[in-house]
Amino acid sequence: MSVVISPTQTLRRSQLYRRHRQLGADFAQFGDSIAVDHYGDDEVSQARVLGLADLSTLPRIGFKGLGTPVWADSCGVKQPAQPNWATLQGDNTLVARLSSNELLLASNLTGSSKLIETLATATRAHRVYALPRGDSHSWLSLCGEQAANTLAKVCAIDFRAQYFTNLQIAQTSLAKINAVIVRTDIGDNLNYAIFSDSCSLEYLWDSLLDAMSEYRGRAIGLQALRDCATL
Amino acid sequence: MADKTRLPQPLGMLIDRKQPITFSFENKTYSGYAGDTVASALAASNQWLLSRSFKYHRPRGVLTMAGQDANSMVQLHSDPNALADRVEITPDLEVMAQNYTGSLSRDRGARLGLLAKFLPVAFYYKAFFKPRGMWEKWAPLIRKKAGLGQINQNYQPEYFDKQYQFYDVAVIGAGPAGLCAALAAADAGAAVLLVDENAQLGGSLNYARSDLEGTQSRQMREALVARVEANVNIVAMTDATCNGWFADNWLPVIRAKRLYKVRAKQTIMCVGAIEQPAVFHNNDLPGVLLSSAALRLINLYAVRPGQSAVVLTGNNDGYTAVLDLVDAGVDVKLIVDLRDAPAYDAIAEHVCGLGIPVKIGHAVYAAQPDATGLHLGSVDVREIVSRGHCATRGEIIACDTLCMSVGYTPTYQLICQAGGQLSYDDDSAMFTLNQCPDNYYIAGSVNSLWTLEAVVADAERAAIIATNALGMSSRQIPDLIVDVQPQSPNFSWPIFAHPKGKEFVDFDEDLQIADIINATRDGYEHIQLVKRYSTCGMGPSQGRHSALTTARLVADATQRTVAQTGVTTARPPFSAEHLAHSAGRSFYPARRSNMHHRHLESGAQMLQAGAWYRPAFYGDAAARTQCINREVDNVRNNVGLVDVSTLGGIEVRGADAGEFLNRFYTFNFLKQPVGKARYALLTNEAGVIIDDGVACRFGEHHYYVTATTGGVDRVYQSMLKWNAQWRLDIDITNVTSAYAGVNIAGPRAREVLSKLVTDIDMSAVAFPYMCIREGSVAGIPARLIRVGFVGELGFEVHVPQYAGEALWDALIEAGQGQSIKPFGIEAQRVLRLEKGHIIIGQDTDAMSNPAELQMGWAVSKLKAFFVGSRTLKELGKIPLKRCLVGFVVDDPNAPIPLESHLVVDGDKMVGRVTSCNFSPTLKKPIGLAYVPPTHADAGSSFTIKSSGGSLVVAQVVDLPFYDAGNLRQEL
Repeated sequence: MSVVISPTQTLRRSQLYRRHRQLGADFAQFGDSIAVDHYGDDEVSQARVLGLADLSTLPRIGFKGLGTPVWADSCGVKQPAQPNWATLQGDNTLVARLSSNELLLASNLTGSSKLIETLATATRAHRVYALPRGDSHSWLSLCGEQAANTLAKVCAIDFRAQYFTNLQIAQTSLAKINAVIVRTDIGDNLNYAIFSDSCSLEYLWDSLLDAMSEYRGRAIGLQALRDCATL
Repeated sequence: MADKTRLPQPLGMLIDRKQPITFSFENKTYSGYAGDTVASALAASNQWLLSRSFKYHRPRGVLTMAGQDANSMVQLHSDPNALADRVEITPDLEVMAQNYTGSLSRDRGARLGLLAKFLPVAFYYKAFFKPRGMWEKWAPLIRKKAGLGQINQNYQPEYFDKQYQFYDVAVIGAGPAGLCAALAAADAGAAVLLVDENAQLGGSLNYARSDLEGTQSRQMREALVARVEANVNIVAMTDATCNGWFADNWLPVIRAKRLYKVRAKQTIMCVGAIEQPAVFHNNDLPGVLLSSAALRLINLYAVRPGQSAVVLTGNNDGYTAVLDLVDAGVDVKLIVDLRDAPAYDAIAEHVCGLGIPVKIGHAVYAAQPDATGLHLGSVDVREIVSRGHCATRGEIIACDTLCMSVGYTPTYQLICQAGGQLSYDDDSAMFTLNQCPDNYYIAGSVNSLWTLEAVVADAERAAIIATNALGMSSRQIPDLIVDVQPQSPNFSWPIFAHPKGKEFVDFDEDLQIADIINATRDGYEHIQLVKRYSTCGMGPSQGRHSALTTARLVADATQRTVAQTGVTTARPPFSAEHLAHSAGRSFYPARRSNMHHRHLESGAQMLQAGAWYRPAFYGDAAARTQCINREVDNVRNNVGLVDVSTLGGIEVRGADAGEFLNRFYTFNFLKQPVGKARYALLTNEAGVIIDDGVACRFGEHHYYVTATTGGVDRVYQSMLKWNAQWRLDIDITNVTSAYAGVNIAGPRAREVLSKLVTDIDMSAVAFPYMCIREGSVAGIPARLIRVGFVGELGFEVHVPQYAGEALWDALIEAGQGQSIKPFGIEAQRVLRLEKGHIIIGQDTDAMSNPAELQMGWAVSKLKAFFVGSRTLKELGKIPLKRCLVGFVVDDPNAPIPLESHLVVDGDKMVGRVTSCNFSPTLKKPIGLAYVPPTHADAGSSFTIKSSGGSLVVAQVVDLPFYDAGNLRQEL
């Protein structure tokens, strides 16, 4: 017998869980997080066209300060050489370098990241300051061949695949709110990770779905993203 | 069965004869085909009258068939001033004409034409400005007569939006030049956007023949369009208008209900040229149209322009038009050639051999209406005896159509917006364009090239320059293209004044030759002044057909050259656009706390504070006051819970954190003990209070500072700015969104909170007022701050944002036995007012300093420096001009003053109320007000001018109003 998982059975709740329920979401446990597994059938096909997933409950953390690059290096973090680029660690944890001395880390699609766990509790060196990115920023994943066209309706940056390459970062304004957008393709599927003000999550979700409707985009669950990664 | 209203195929390339459509015009049903415009379908039904002119209500009909003139403006259901030659018919479309009184065919407003001689240029300026006040009487009448369509006030907003687009090369105009430029750029590897305002790619290739057989244009179009459509590097947008040019090739392109914000690295303008009308008596009658309009009717819509025609020409293009007219079955009665020595090309030579009479060196001196008065009936053709003058007698030729082909102007608007310069060449009688900005090129007929060979070569040259600049090619740039034309297509003076006037220069505004000349005689000699004085070029077509003639007339009247006279400034938009294109799909960011839905579920009435949604109060909106009072009472007597997630939160960490706060805020923070909170007042360099909050010292090098909801972003920016100068060893992070927070307040607050806290000693001794602790609440990691904003025992609990809802749920459940209730910010305002606490922005303004607010206690006198200290020191040397005081209104019958009500002394304003509420605790109105220092002492009274002018006496009292000994908040 399958166990029904409720988005409110843990303390960490996405502000979107009511909207997910309205869309008929089935939730699942991903690591320590509960997120939407799926809303309907064949979401992989949807993900290839245009999908929007809420990953806000998945782990992430940030660090900044003059000591951050050296300290992170000593902790085994593989860092991009230049700001506004990202790298993927061995376990697919995303490390985004937002400035010379600032990093944003986001877990892989299993919802767990040993690296984030380790760094969260590690003794920090002088001038290294932890940032509560899991709390301050929401995390959405916009994917599919129409993702760049969708972003063009809400943002002034050219996100087309041939101009905005994989693991490139834009720190910009999206639908009039600040956002960090990282291109993180999943398998061969175009994907943009969008980190933005956590308290504006419902607004951003609605704005993106509105922009997506022209391209028949819709919400998808985390499982579809994971399936894209393995295809 | 063949449709006798239409010419046979292959004419009519835009219409689908398999899809008949019916629509109505002036409440009469007409039929047409899919692809027809309103104007073409009406023309096919022999309905040529489309509108009435703006001033004299003259009958107007098809002029350009290109959406370039005001003649074709019609009223749609929700869309005034729609262009009948642009709007495609749809089933059951309802179209009405505009600007008439009575009926379109019997417009009573046309009587104004009889008064034309009494309505000289600038008539309004001259006639209605005196006696004083006369304009107010005339204006409603004039405005009723004037006007362009009606706005549908029941219009339901539709979905308009915007989208960014990025290209290496934008090519505007998809005629032969645009197609070739796009292909050449795309073949070099550039991503190309090709924009055209028409329904179909090809521009003039769609309707204008370039060889005798009439096959070259069609074949060239088919070949080029096929290549464009097959080229993956080209995005072609038809029915799209590039409506302006802005710096760095930012191009607003409008198509349907979307505004595309195009960024192009290179722009090639292939926007073509606009055919010009001749100027003669009654040149505005329906049936008088541009030759290009006739060709469009024939070739695009299979509509015969008339039965019998005269062609007035000043170039060889008129002869080309004759060929199409003859092929369409039009009886061409006469060719009137303005030139005294025409240099024919092959087509013209051929036409001359068709047996159609040709009058060289002649002009159409006047057109006359038919018996209806609504359409052309004949033309008066006379010999030209000198520039602009005709013989005294001529020949009357009966005809229902007059095609004009007397020259062109380059479509200069978008080029001039970009900084291009317009020059006039006297030899060719033509405007030319040059001095385009970097990364911006023109090609084709807009560049004064006319033969297809020259146009193609020019387009490819522009594409080479563009792709070379992009680094996509390194080709040799060809020499400037030179056209081989036997004669300029522009006739130098197709302007013939008539004793009875009505030779229209500007159809939009009904301006005649005399109007332009008289404007210069009135002293308005500069072309910009002529425009504003006469309104020439200010109508919907923005001078497309009047700029050249006006420049010629003004130059002639002021003894200058046309080049010296120039044209008026071209500004965006290029053509009329819906306001919705600019306004459509605006973004209104909204921030919601993690507890937002719990507030809604509890019946909260929400209000927006900046981007935040906050609960104002809980309960029925109709019982607002009772709800607020109930919430206040519950906090005073039991325990209340308010969402303070919107409060700003800033982490200041690092070795110099204390030093930073000491410099930034007015108080002393260096000696603040760890585990303590301290009030933090912020002034700017001018000593003005701009924010406040609480600084919590969680570690030797770690402060957590709160700021006001509306002020935190400014505080954060200000912190970054100052530390960019001070270069202290700190990190500053805005963590407002990272924390959700509540204030649990009331005498039973500790009782409730203690149920959920196991790792903090919550006793009054262990956790006293203005102390802070870290621990967990209901298993959630939390920061606890003992505060007293509402004047009761209170704890702010700040938890990670994701757990805000869980915290709320836990506290509400734990407090059931203590009668816990949520309260909103309206109750909080009353509670804080009873305690005498200010709200920044409500009780302060752009001049408020601490001394005025009696907050000297919050300013350290011992510090050498803080932001604003120098100014405050100087201000301290001069007497106060006002003081913020607490007041009560003891008269139970007096109206309750409102915020911003004036404090008066006789008839002088001496202050204002900043806050005022009925206090449920004190059972009378209490408030804060700025008053003169002479009225600031407790026991003084002052007068408030309240609603309706009633005067209310207020008594000054010491603050706070409630719990002066602070016993309750320190329980």
